[in-house]
Amino acid sequence: MKKAAVSLILILAGCALLMAAAAAQEDMVVVDPGPFENPQRPPSTFRHEEHNLAADIWECNVCHHVYDEEGNLLDDESSEDMRCVDCHFLEDTGTQPGLMKAFHLNCKGCHIKEAKGPVMCGECHRWRQPAADGPGAG
Amino acid sequence: MHSVYSFVTGPMVWVAFGVFVAGCLFRLVVLLSQVSRKEPFIFSYMNLKWSLRSIGHWIVPFATVNWRRHPVLTVVTFVFHICLFLVPIFLLSHIVLVDEAWSISWAALPDGLADALTLTVIACCLFFLVRRIRSPEVKFVTYPSDYVILAIVAAPFVTGFLAYHQWFGYPVMFILHVIAGEIMLIAIPFTRLSHMLFAVFTRAYMGSEFGGVRKAKDW
Ligand code: HEC
Ligand code: HEC
Ligand code: HEC
Ligand code: HEC
Repeated sequence: MKKAAVSLILILAGCALLMAAAAAQEDMVVVDPGPFENPQRPPSTFRHEEHNLAADIWECNVCHHVYDEEGNLLDDESSEDMRCVDCHFLEDTGTQPGLMKAFHLNCKGCHIKEAKGPVMCGECHRWRQPAADGPGAG
Repeated sequence: MHSVYSFVTGPMVWVAFGVFVAGCLFRLVVLLSQVSRKEPFIFSYMNLKWSLRSIGHWIVPFATVNWRRHPVLTVVTFVFHICLFLVPIFLLSHIVLVDEAWSISWAALPDGLADALTLTVIACCLFFLVRRIRSPEVKFVTYPSDYVILAIVAAPFVTGFLAYHQWFGYPVMFILHVIAGEIMLIAIPFTRLSHMLFAVFTRAYMGSEFGGVRKAKDW
């Protein structure tokens, strides 16, 4: 009985955590600039769910990636339970880009490649965030 | 907008820097070959000591009679030239782009300070403009091209300032800023902006002539 209660609580707690995480990424409107020491720009616009829907991205690990020891990208693993800053330091380390560069290469890199989405500084780092009405034009 | 962006921040950057570097080399080679053809004797009295002495005096504010005679102009001139180089070389956004392209980076000015220095450059340009219009002795030696050159220099700073603050149509201002910078680079070797290259030679020549030949100061 006690065991069942504990597992029930654990399961509920697990669901709550998952929902909190889901809510968190659904509510995300900008990328948190917290890890940066002295941010110079307004945080980049990024409505996690709307963005990935509009951009037609279904694999989480396009962004939340995992590499093995040799630096090979692992196709069937993902790291959405971690933040970019957990692996990317502020400065470059070897071939691993520093945090700002990781964001820029990831975000801007895809936008340039697909010729869709923002590529100029102020299209992401907006001083005046647009009204909360879905993804704007890139 | 993506194709315009890729073009002005891709091939056009190479063209601009290519023309700038090749143009500067070309102008220097032409200068040296002309001097050696027409007035080779100049080389006979070029002298490192007198050259450095002259350059030394002219790059220090108020170290020459001419600088002292026009104190306001002197201060504006020095502040202007210092900011003119400081801002673009140590601007965060420029370093970010260079770092992304080649993984080379260096210390950046905080954006707030760069913003203030940019306004300083713009203010100095306005000062030069008003001086050209108002001061009779300057107006007398002013050609229309002088206004064009002033505009070429001011444009990257004005557009950069507006783009940074995202006033007046952001994406277009960004593109205009990049183009304005490229125009300025291309203009340097072929306009009076080439004093960036020649100032040192002019001073070395004047210094050597005054020091070695006329036994006088050129400041
Ligand atoms: C276009 C890139 C991209 C894709 C694709 C993507 N994410 Fe994210 N996600 C991010 C970024 C950026 C963050 C913020 C990371 C940080 O701040 O370190 C984030 C954060 C999160 C967070 C943490 C939310 C928070 O507020 O802390 C979760 C959970 C998450 N993503 C889940 C997912 C899942 C699940 C998928 C696949 C369905 C996915 N992501 C696909 C870019 C992406
Ligand atoms: C589990 C650790 C880990 C997490 C979390 C992680 N990365 Fe990485 N990332 C790496 C490693 C390791 C490399 C370097 C591979 C190499 O050295 O070539 C890398 C390389 C990169 C690169 C350069 C290669 C490429 O894919 O273009 C980018 C860009 C990048 N990461 C962006 C991100 C972003 C954005 C996030 C957050 C959404 C993120 N990374 C989260 C470990 C991680
Ligand atoms: C794998 C490709 C890809 C990656 C990675 C990616 N994007 Fe996008 N992004 C797109 C596409 C495609 C669009 C255009 C969607 C449309 O058609 O509206 C877009 C549009 C946008 C927009 C404009 C729409 C809006 O939501 O306002 C923003 C802002 C944006 N991306 C930010 C980011 C940021 C920040 C990152 C990195 C954390 C990122 N993107 C990573 C593909 C990508
Ligand atoms: C596609 C979107 C995108 C574009 C375009 C972009 N950035 Fe970013 N940038 C980001 C994201 C995401 C981060 C991570 C921090 C955040 O914004 O919350 C970031 C971080 C930064 C940081 C570190 C944090 C800070 O505020 O000091 C700087 C500096 C920066 N960007 C400058 C620039 C400059 C300069 C440009 C143009 C040359 C630019 N960015 C273009 C998305 C973008």
